This record gives sequence, structure tokens and C-alpha cells, in this order.
Amino acid sequence: MSAALGPERPQVVAHAQQALSYTVFDCKWVPRSARLLCLGSAARGTGVVQLYELHGARLELLREIEKPKPIKCGTFGATSLQQRYLATGDFDGNLNIWNLEAPEIPVYSVKGHKEIINSIDGVGGLGIGEGAPEIVTGSRDGTVKVWDPRQNDTPVANMEPVQGESKRDCWTVAFGNAYNQEERVVCAGYDNGDIKLFDLKTMSLRWETNIKNGVCSVEFDRKDINMNKLVATSLEGKFHVFDMRTQHPTKGFASVSEKAQKSTIWQVRHLPQNRDIFMTSGGSGSLHLWKYEYPAQRSKKDSEGSEMGVAGSLSLLQNVTLSTQPISSLDWSPDKKGLCVCGAFDQTVRVLIVTKLNKI
Amino acid sequence: MPVWLREHSWRQTLSAVYLSLPLRGARATPANIFCSEQYLKVSIPPFLFEAILYAPIDDTNSTAKIGNGNIFFTLYKKEPAMWDSLTLANADKEKLQDLRENAVLKAHEKAKEETEAKKITKQENKKYALEATMKLEEAERKRIEDLKEKERQKVTKELELWKNQQKDGDKYKSMQKKGALHEEIEPLKQRKNEKINKTQIPNEGTSKTRLKSTKGDGSCSIFSQNLKEELLPAPRAAATIKVNFTPRVFPTALRESRVPEEEEWLHKQAEARRIINSDLSELEDLKEEEKNPDWLKDKGNKMFAMGDYLGAVNAYNLAVKLNSKLPVLYLNRAACHLKLRNLHKAIEDSSKALELLTPPVPDNENARVKAHVRRGTAFCQLELYTEVPVDEMWSRSMAGS
Repeated sequence: MSAALGPERPQVVAHAQQALSYTVFDCKWVPRSARLLCLGSAARGTGVVQLYELHGARLELLREIEKPKPIKCGTFGATSLQQRYLATGDFDGNLNIWNLEAPEIPVYSVKGHKEIINSIDGVGGLGIGEGAPEIVTGSRDGTVKVWDPRQNDTPVANMEPVQGESKRDCWTVAFGNAYNQEERVVCAGYDNGDIKLFDLKTMSLRWETNIKNGVCSVEFDRKDINMNKLVATSLEGKFHVFDMRTQHPTKGFASVSEKAQKSTIWQVRHLPQNRDIFMTSGGSGSLHLWKYEYPAQRSKKDSEGSEMGVAGSLSLLQNVTLSTQPISSLDWSPDKKGLCVCGAFDQTVRVLIVTKLNKI
Repeated sequence: MPVWLREHSWRQTLSAVYLSLPLRGARATPANIFCSEQYLKVSIPPFLFEAILYAPIDDTNSTAKIGNGNIFFTLYKKEPAMWDSLTLANADKEKLQDLRENAVLKAHEKAKEETEAKKITKQENKKYALEATMKLEEAERKRIEDLKEKERQKVTKELELWKNQQKDGDKYKSMQKKGALHEEIEPLKQRKNEKINKTQIPNEGTSKTRLKSTKGDGSCSIFSQNLKEELLPAPRAAATIKVNFTPRVFPTALRESRVPEEEEWLHKQAEARRIINSDLSELEDLKEEEKNPDWLKDKGNKMFAMGDYLGAVNAYNLAVKLNSKLPVLYLNRAACHLKLRNLHKAIEDSSKALELLTPPVPDNENARVKAHVRRGTAFCQLELYTEVPVDEMWSRSMAGS
């Protein structure tokens, strides 16, 4: 692991920050704008959605919406650029899609799970990816469900434990491999360290592995290409990068792992403009910016002649500590390279700018 | 007795006295010369020269030059006047003594003052050095801050620019969109008409009413949505995928478990099942099934349920003889004893059960709670309240018994 050269290293500049009066669980940029959303839970047990706009070095509150149940996660991934509807998962297991112009009644609502929806992802919208818009939710009740906003009440895919099996909390979900209309893959991470890859075209389990510690966050480097890399972060400061191009029949995907921080790595987010750069946020309030370097040969033949992937290497570009509390959510702006927002458990949301990313 | 040096020669001007003192082969160093305002002494053992000067001199500025077997003093007078002689005549012994002492004292004081002055200058120098370094560091810090500030401002400006571009872009796009949509509507209308001729009438009706009922912009967006829906694939056929999770003997997640202790507990249980105390003569009388501790335990449980406590105790006794390591036997026997009011025995049995139920893991938690409860009850019924350990009071309250 090597660090980039001194004066040319990307710097993380804290541009603006805003103290909030509620616990923020997720923060997302509104696509094609300088506005961001903060989702969370107020002290009185209700859900809060706040819309901020970036003005110079401050955040200006445009809108505040209160909902009956605390909101855990949200995504814009499944809506078109014109509509920009927000899909949220809340503490009660409800999946709602809101039109932020008229947020009183949700555009789509379903009680998808019996327990809190821990993670949500969307694909097929925003001009990214091909195929139908779909939303996947992962919940503490151990199930992962895929929803189509055009179909009410029932999910289009349901990944649930076998009858009689004790359930494990699903902590994170991510879409990937959506490079044409039929192909799609969902990756889910569970609290016992299981990572499962479900293929939605064949409706089967494509790959699974166990990384020993609970999986806090998974993300493909791009949703809309043939699956290339998958980063899975876990408790105790470890994260794994899997090379998803070559699947070995028994060994699965090759991976490289890194132990960067002593604390849980809460989130990983890839830079939308460069799929080899990603940022991890940690339980100690720190952010690490990483770059993945591909190996000379991405696949090689093993002793039986079957193709096996070769994992590359990671280098730490920069790290910075912003807070004493865990940074639980992170989002890059899809429009401006280097602009990102992070929300931490010290009830602050910060807008950061990472400089010199062009030179990487 | 020192040897006095008397061959000195001197001359004077109005302001100074020049004294030349030949040393008879002796080596002189500055340490040998002692001079105060009115007293001058040179002492190079065994030689000694002292003089009580006629008038006070300025001893700080006066100099002594040592060389050529000679000391040459240049003494500056305090008051410019011509001296009658170098030394004071009529100097009696006491006066001499006094003067000497005074001189020494004065010299001391001077020395002290000098050291003080030195100290002060040293401190001031240090302070100055410190301030200088602090200033340098401040400057460095400021420079870094300035760099950061500049970076920040640059980035802020870029951001503002980008934001404005976005806003303009949005406006432009929306105008463009309207234009494009208007263009699209024409061929679309034609296509729809064709379609309508082929498909059923109700469809036509609905699409037409949609066209009519909405105004201006609304119709454009609905059109675009219709377009899109035709391009998007239908919702997926619903299906379920069953998953299995990585198996684990204990229900807690790996991160919460105390693995070594749980392993130990598993070992113990496995061993306990294997032990058979086979050195009992009574075994020959028993039937095959009566030699199985589990079967005996079940029998005992049944009898307990029916109220036949003595019978249950017997069953458990036999089971214990066969296998003394199963905690559940002691546990159940304790319950029987409680019912029979054999409280001391109940206490014994629950204690034995607790001993066997180490290490404490979530798996044997229920059993441990039961043991604590039974023991606590027995103690209370014996009215030995002080014997009841704290955790048993807690268990009792938890179990609600």
C-alpha cells in the first residue's frame, strides 16, 4: 500500500457543514442540481426529510417534511431524471416513493418488510443502466426484496431464508451488472459476514461467500456495466475488493482485502466519474480515499485449466478525520466531480470537496 | 610569612595611576589579583603585595596587564586629582583590617551583581529566541492556512459557476424539451392513429380522453411517459429465491460470541454423555432401558409431573449413579426436593448443577436461571435470607417465582 506523492495528493476540503436537530441516517444529492437531501429520525420518533441547497459556503434549508416513521435510507436510483422521485425505506419496513413537490401522499407505498429496512438501492433510472426501474430493499427480517414501481404490493423477487432457518439481518444491498435489459444482479450483505450474489435473470443464487465479520456496505463500482468490481466493507476495519469479471467454479471471485481503520467501516462509495476511486467512511469519523490498481493480467488459468481472477492492489490516496462520531452515510455528487456529502452521528451533515482528482 | 613585594614603581596623571610591579620570577594569573575601590592586593604565594590606595579608583574600568615578569596596572581615579603618594600613609593595623574586609565584602557584592546581571541577560536572550521561533512558526502556519483558503475559494468559485451552469442548463433543457416534444407529437399522433385502427376501441377512447382532459404541459409529459413505458420491459415475473445462511451452532453472531467458552461448553456436554459409571453392582438387576440415564430422566420428569415426587427422586438418583455429569439431573432432582421440602438437599443439588453448568454461555442460560431460582427458593424457605446470593434474588425476580 503506497501513498501518492505529497503536493499532488487529493485534498479533502470541508466546504460547508450544517448542524441538524435530528439523527441523520442517509444523505443524498438530488441529481442534476446543487441540492441535497438528509433523511433521518427526529427525537420524537418521527421521520424527517430535509432538502438543502448549497449556497456558497452554507447550506440553506429549502424544505422540511415530517413523516410518521423514522426513515433509514433513500435512493434516487429508480426514477427518471425528469421526475426525480425519492424512494425511502423506514424503520417500520415500509417502502415509499415520494414526489418531493407533493410529499403528502406517496406515489408508491408498500409495507415491504416486517422489520426495519436497513438498506435500499435503485437501478434503471436517472439515465443509468438499462431495463426496468427496480428498487431493492434489505431488511432486518433477513429478506431481500426487489420491487418494481409499476407493480403494487408484491415484490418481483424475494430472497428469503429457507423455512426453519434462523434468519440473519440483511445490512446492505446493491444492484449491479445492469448492462442490458435482461441482466441484473443483486448483492446482499448480512450481519454474520455472508455476501450473496443473486442473479435476477435466472432467479438464482449465483455466488456466496463469508467474510467472517458483519458486512456493513456493498457496492459495485458501476451498476450499468458488466460487473467489474465489488467492494464489501465490514466491522473491525476491514474491507474486501472482489474482481467480478472472472468467476471460478469453486473459488468464486478473487479479492484483495485491506484493514485500514480500527473501527467499523460504515460505507463505501465509488466516485461516479472514475470507477477505480472510492471513499470509505469509518466509525472513528474518518474518511479514506482509495484507488484500485488493476493487476497486469486480470485472469489466469489455475491447475485444472479453469479461469481464475487475479485481484489487484489498493493504494490510500488521502485520509481525513472530520468527526468523533461515525460517519454513517456518504454520497458523491453525480454532476460535479469531487463534491460529496457525508452525514455523521454527531448530527452534522458536511459537504466536502475532494481536489485534484483529475490528476489521478 | 609572606614575602612582601616592595619594589614597585608608579607614576600618575590627573585621571589615572600607572603602577608597575615586578614579580620576582613568580607567574601571575588574573586570579591572583584582587582589586577593590581603595584596596589593591596581589598574592602569589609566597609573594604578597598590597596597597591601600590614596584615593578611590574606578575598579571596574581599571586594568592589569601581566607580562614580562611584571604586572602593569592602569588605575583610573574616581576623582581627578593628583595623589601625594600611591598608598595611604598612617594606615594602622585596624584600619587596614577594616579596609581589607570592606574590600572583600564589596568585591563579593560586585560579583553577585554581576552574576545577577548575567542571569537577566541570559533570560532575556532566551525569551527573544523563543519569540523569534514562535513568529517563524506563526508565519509558516499562516502560509499553510492561506494556501488552504485559496484552494477553498477556488473550489467555491468553481462550484458556483457549475451551479449557475446547471440552472441555465435546466432552463434551456426544459425549453428544448418542449420544442422537441412538440415535434414528437406529430409523428406520434400519426402512429397512434395507425395503432388505433388496429386495436380495440376502448383503448382508443381512453387515450383520446387523456389527450383532451389534460392541458398544455401535462399532455407533453404524459406523452413522454407513454413513450417510455413502451420502451421499458414489463415488470419481472415474480419469483422467490431461497437462501441458506452460513451455519453456526450458537444463535449469536460471530462478533458477539465468546467462542472459546462456547467450545468448552460443547466439549463438556459431549463428554458428559459418554460417561457411564459402570462399577456398580446393582446394575445387574436393572433392565436394559433402565441403564440409560436419559430414559431415567424422562421417567423422573413424568413422575414429577404426576406428583410422585419420591418416585421421581428415585429415578434421578439412579440416573445420577449412572452418569454423574449431567447437570439436568441435579436440576430436576432439586425441584423434587423443593416440593418434598427437603430444602437442604435442594440447595445441594442446585449447587452441584451450577457447578456443572460452567462456563456460563447463553446456551445454558436457562438451566442456570432455573438452578439459581431453585436454590434461592430453598434458602428463602429455610429463612436463611442472608445466605441467598445477590444473583439469586435477581433470578427469582426475573423468573417471577
